[in-house]
Amino acid sequence: MSLRDHLKYYWNVKLVGSAYLRWQRWQAERKPRIPRNWRTDIIAPPLKISARTKELISRHYLEGRYANGHKPVAWVTSGGPVEILQALGFYVLYPENHGALCGARRYALELSEEAENYGFSQDICSYARTDIGAMLSGKTPVGRLPKPDLLLACTNICQTVLFWYRVLAKHFNVPIILIDTPFVYKNAPEHAIEYVKKQLEASIPVAERVAKKKLSFKKLKEVVRLSREASELWLEIMYRGKTKPAPISVFDQFIHMAPIVEMRGKPETVDFYAAMLKEVDERIKKGIGAVKNERKRLLWDNLPIWYKLRFLAEYLGEHGISVVASTYTMAWGELAPLIDPERPIESMAKTYIYPILNRGTGYKLQKMRDMVDEFDLDGAILHSDRSCKPYSIGQVDQRNRLISEYGIPALLLEADHNDPRAFADEQVKARLDSFIEMLE
Amino acid sequence: MVKIPKRHEVCRKFKEQGGKVAAVLPIHYPRALLRAFDILPVEVWGPPQVDVSYGGAHLQPYVCSIVHNALSFLKTGGLDETDLIIVPHTCDSLQGFGSILLDFVKPRQPVFPVYLPRGKRQEDVEFLVNEFKSLYRGLEKITGKSPKTDEILKRIEIEEKADAKLKELYEIRGEFSFESGKAKSRSSKGDALSTYDFYRVVRAREFLPVEEFIELADEVISEYSFVREGVPVILSGIVPEPMEVLNAIEEAGGFVVADDLACCGRRLYGGGKSSEPLKRMAERIIFGPPDVTRGNLIEERFEHLKYLAEVTGARGIIFYTVKFCEPELFDLPDLKNMLKSAGIPSVQVEIDIGDPLPHQTITRLTAFLEVLA
Ligand code: SF4
Ligand code: SF4
Repeated sequence: MSLRDHLKYYWNVKLVGSAYLRWQRWQAERKPRIPRNWRTDIIAPPLKISARTKELISRHYLEGRYANGHKPVAWVTSGGPVEILQALGFYVLYPENHGALCGARRYALELSEEAENYGFSQDICSYARTDIGAMLSGKTPVGRLPKPDLLLACTNICQTVLFWYRVLAKHFNVPIILIDTPFVYKNAPEHAIEYVKKQLEASIPVAERVAKKKLSFKKLKEVVRLSREASELWLEIMYRGKTKPAPISVFDQFIHMAPIVEMRGKPETVDFYAAMLKEVDERIKKGIGAVKNERKRLLWDNLPIWYKLRFLAEYLGEHGISVVASTYTMAWGELAPLIDPERPIESMAKTYIYPILNRGTGYKLQKMRDMVDEFDLDGAILHSDRSCKPYSIGQVDQRNRLISEYGIPALLLEADHNDPRAFADEQVKARLDSFIEMLE
Repeated sequence: MVKIPKRHEVCRKFKEQGGKVAAVLPIHYPRALLRAFDILPVEVWGPPQVDVSYGGAHLQPYVCSIVHNALSFLKTGGLDETDLIIVPHTCDSLQGFGSILLDFVKPRQPVFPVYLPRGKRQEDVEFLVNEFKSLYRGLEKITGKSPKTDEILKRIEIEEKADAKLKELYEIRGEFSFESGKAKSRSSKGDALSTYDFYRVVRAREFLPVEEFIELADEVISEYSFVREGVPVILSGIVPEPMEVLNAIEEAGGFVVADDLACCGRRLYGGGKSSEPLKRMAERIIFGPPDVTRGNLIEERFEHLKYLAEVTGARGIIFYTVKFCEPELFDLPDLKNMLKSAGIPSVQVEIDIGDPLPHQTITRLTAFLEVLA
């Protein structure tokens, strides 16, 4: 780590970059601008907090641009235990979040094709293809991604990340920390939790070696506490969807979930969600709904379709349908009660083994069923995501049971979260139309 | 042609003698533990010829054909003779399969998932031992038996002997020694065993009681020679289904001299060391030949394939992949590049195990073998 790199970091990130982004945010807050062609007759304008989300995310990637040489960099899977790395001062990048950003900005296909030209099959997860494409070509809409000094792959979302991170390890020639979280078919046996705990403990010296410093447990507890606070606030925001009309939709949640995924354990994330909650509460007070004329309320299962968020929000909104809750966004909040800052490693072992993606198909069905009650929903859209087998397998039965056992209208919508080639506009519209008819 | 009894005959005979039969999904599991409970493991790699629409009633089209076919096989009564089902956690798709069985399909037989750790660390071994303990308790419940340490060790010894025989078959065919890596030929004996027949024998390990497998291997070793004509190649992938691919390779002028198939070469486990039986079984699986699904690095697989090519004189590698199989698909671009740099050409063909061998696949194999020749 050189003096030049430190100076570059301070100048570009701390002084110029942050000030510029803050100024941009002030401007946007002073004169909120509604994006072009936004159907304000159907859906509420974007949340005011959007300016702050943009600032947070931009600053995060700006920091990444200058991180190499200034601080250690880790690339981490989205459900990975990040607290130890945060406490050690790592700059943490989540390739899946970067993938989502590329998806939302319609940049994922180009990157995906880079990976495919290299030989990766179209049948592997599109997040992985996007990320590998970015790695191979150096292309990204955020300027530049920092090279990792360390990789952390946690299998609590899928095994795919393990294969994907092996590719990264080979290309960057850096160590991987593996946190293997046995799949929970029913309940996690004690020995599985113990196994995760031991791996977390064993990861500390590896991360310390890369960071070239010792982990302070005091700092770790503080990071874990902040992680819990942010997750609790996020959960509160999700629960506000119980109000009628729902103040925000899942499409808003998808846009504003980036900080809870990639900036857990930071004070600014807690402040951000506290501010978001305040704005959501203001909407509730004023009776503002995410959909102007909310007549029906739905559940969304599985990942978002990043390149079609607005299309779906408006198409459904036109019919007075608000998609108010999602098993996916809930995943980053529902485990908040398990996080115990006084027992960081033990509680992390439990927290990280239990995300919805690491649980059985029956649990997922029960979760959907409960959410339908809790949020008083009229039906569910299950996005059958070609890329994400662990989330999608089981949906055929889940859909059938929602309909036959619980009388809940449910639609299986075939698509892909990041690859627009798997989305046929007309076909989707036709499927949605017949589903909407069923809801009436 | 070597005579091998049919699976259902084997199952029936085993059950008539008072044992139980377990249907086991791919890839790694503790064979000896099952046999200590007098349970015969019979593996389910698909199988190829079933009406896949039954699996399609539960699974999306982008799930691999091994899982689709296994579910269809179960739903059409293919597993009716079995008393339990074991689902090792090999990949996201088999994870989903196990979960669907437990939560929705709910077959008559009890289902036991077994999670396989993805590392080679001390904690991975300990965890797998604990998984085997859970399985032991489950098997105790359904059989009423509680085999003692020495009984399990005895079963492990026999399984290790069978695996040693399996290795011997590979060594004779490849004319090398796993131990020293040196070439080792033997004088030709009896009829030549085709590639197709070689795999019929090797894959009999998927369902024959271990004692019968040892007899079969001994018979083949003493009475047959092996086809070694044409271009020697390594076959890599999950399973050689449809098995006609093996004839197609021979007809195109090649012969398989070694493999890195999940159902075969990736299970040439070494002998165990620990005297604690569950630990011994766990170590054998964890430290077996490189396998993507068990978390080995691409470099380890590359080294293994390079080694196999060196000791057997293989001139190229055929990657025979199942469509939608993520574990395999992630490795291939880098693996193929690394092999190319090491002077080992390769070709990839993708199949759906339920389909007849596509003509296009045969053409690609032929073209590849022609270049190698
Ligand atoms: S397979 Fe699913 S969980 Fe895994 S990285 Fe892809 S989208 Fe995420
Ligand atoms: S073929 Fe691949 S994806 Fe299918 S069960 Fe086997 S390892 Fe899993």
